Amino acid sequence: MLFFRGRKKRRVCVVGLDGVPYGLLRRLAGESVMPRAAAIIGNGGLRRMRASLPPVSSVSWSCFMTGANPAEHGIFGFTDVLADTYQLWFPSFRDLAVPTFWDRLGKKRRRSCVVNQPATYPAREIPGALVSGFVALQLEKSVWPREHLPALQRMGYRIGVSTQKARDHPDGLLDDLDATLKARREAAGYFWERESWDYFQVVVTGTDRLHHFLWNAVDDAGDARHDRAMAYYRAVDDLIGDLWDKFHRGRSVDQEGEGFMLLSDHGFTRLQQDVRLNSWLRENGYLSYEKEDPTSVADISPQTRAFALDPGRVHINMRGRFSQGCVDPEDAPALRQELAERLGQLAYEGRPVIARVFTREEAFHGPRIALAADLVLISRDGFDLKGTTREQEVFGASRFQGMHTWDDAFLCTSLPVPDNPSISEPAGAILEWLSG
Amino acid sequence: MAKGFTLWFTGLPGSGKSTLAERVRDILLERGMKVEVLDGDEVRKNLSKGLGYSKEDRDTNIRRIGWVCHLLTRNDLVAISAAISPYKEIRDENRELIGRFVEVYCKCDIDTLRGRDPKGLYEKALKGEIKNFTGVSDPYEPPEKPEVVVDTAREDIDTCVQRIVGTLEQLAYIPAGDGRGYSDDEEEGIKQRLKDLGYI
Repeated sequence: MLFFRGRKKRRVCVVGLDGVPYGLLRRLAGESVMPRAAAIIGNGGLRRMRASLPPVSSVSWSCFMTGANPAEHGIFGFTDVLADTYQLWFPSFRDLAVPTFWDRLGKKRRRSCVVNQPATYPAREIPGALVSGFVALQLEKSVWPREHLPALQRMGYRIGVSTQKARDHPDGLLDDLDATLKARREAAGYFWERESWDYFQVVVTGTDRLHHFLWNAVDDAGDARHDRAMAYYRAVDDLIGDLWDKFHRGRSVDQEGEGFMLLSDHGFTRLQQDVRLNSWLRENGYLSYEKEDPTSVADISPQTRAFALDPGRVHINMRGRFSQGCVDPEDAPALRQELAERLGQLAYEGRPVIARVFTREEAFHGPRIALAADLVLISRDGFDLKGTTREQEVFGASRFQGMHTWDDAFLCTSLPVPDNPSISEPAGAILEWLSG
Repeated sequence: MAKGFTLWFTGLPGSGKSTLAERVRDILLERGMKVEVLDGDEVRKNLSKGLGYSKEDRDTNIRRIGWVCHLLTRNDLVAISAAISPYKEIRDENRELIGRFVEVYCKCDIDTLRGRDPKGLYEKALKGEIKNFTGVSDPYEPPEKPEVVVDTAREDIDTCVQRIVGTLEQLAYIPAGDGRGYSDDEEEGIKQRLKDLGYI
């Protein structure tokens, strides 16, 4: 007879589903494509979650892993612009300016094991183990500690799918997605057994790639590849179920769900039109180029008053901020107001394009706020905001089927997080739970 | 703004201090910093020539190295000390003198050190043929709160170097990577990945 059954040490397991919107998760759970996710959701705790501003993976996941705002952690996009030359540069994990919550858990002697985390390349030491995800290039630089590298190589681990030919070879992409998920699952199993951990995390990034290239197959039951897309989601559901089962092994019934978390970093929807903000700025006299065929914002003229970076970041070319800034700091607020109003009214065939315009102060807080865009635009569903300088027309067809959305990521957890959470908020709940 | 700092390796003989110091030096030189390494064996041939291995002489040796590191650091250079520096009190004295001081403890168990022993010094010390040999017949006081611990018995050189350099980056004593995250080749690879998904 048991007089006392001690509770097991607190642990957390997170499964990240990159680019899976709240509505899609509910639908797939309801349609029995994802029965294991449905059961977890059935326990309660599913809610919409706001992604980062802008809603791209590098920023959102950096918010998740630090619990910080972009003006605190310093990652504002996949790309950023150098203030002296206007050349694009590509922030890496080395540029993350604040500790991750895995680092903070390490100070409490808690170990984290994190597999396929976007925005952590090149991998560095964390208290535990880390495998970097997108935009990782070489596996050799994606694994910490290095002792795990041979095992990952032996199992044929893949960082991600090849997207170079994805548009023209959709079936090849689906094959690649299946193989990559299989390898991811094997790696998760390996780390689960091999590492000693208090916090475990796997991110599935194939969902995002599937949505970029084949959103119609996911969203439209009549699409020729719908069954294959659903088969992929069934495999994702199997991975979730496998981790749930492992996580609960040896636990008492009253602990069910404690510490198990599902989340996405942003939502997705059908893409109808690309919206090239630099083309609009040029058409409306805010931007000009020094070249006939500009290839990046490095080619803007010194008379340019504003330019845009992907996906909806508008910078005022202000004196003191940029080397060739032509807008006086005292004129910048009025220009910003003007741009916010005009861009907010942007329309395509009578339909409004922009859903929200955030000023820098509304979107960001932290010591690096001066580096943030002056405005961050969130588009309405279907309109994908672009920072390209290569296109003449403001509106045009896209080569993709899906686009990111901001306010319909999801979070499913029993841990206490505020209502209407943003992706910066689970970190605090995880830290508190594992500190208890 | 101060740019100099001292990277202070400490550990038993043969624990990898000089090897790691040279590797870290090469990386810092590649990143455009001015670096001097004060290797324990080399210092004893010039700056501390004539000193023996009594506690008093060891303390004098380490204080001299600390003083030189202090001067280099004060003048915005990177000073790397790779000497056993067995006594905590003297290391802490140097930490206080220098200020921007990063202590790296090269941890290694005695069995591994005896196994390595390229010069046969441990064998001789264990037979009593060498007196005052740190870790065998002389004490070694491990640091209590070093900025970095590398376990050279269990971790490969690359891992140790990456951890040391990573710590310097986190402390903002050196810029991250090449200052802009990626090398030129890597940047091309990143661009391609982002183009494939329509981000540039």
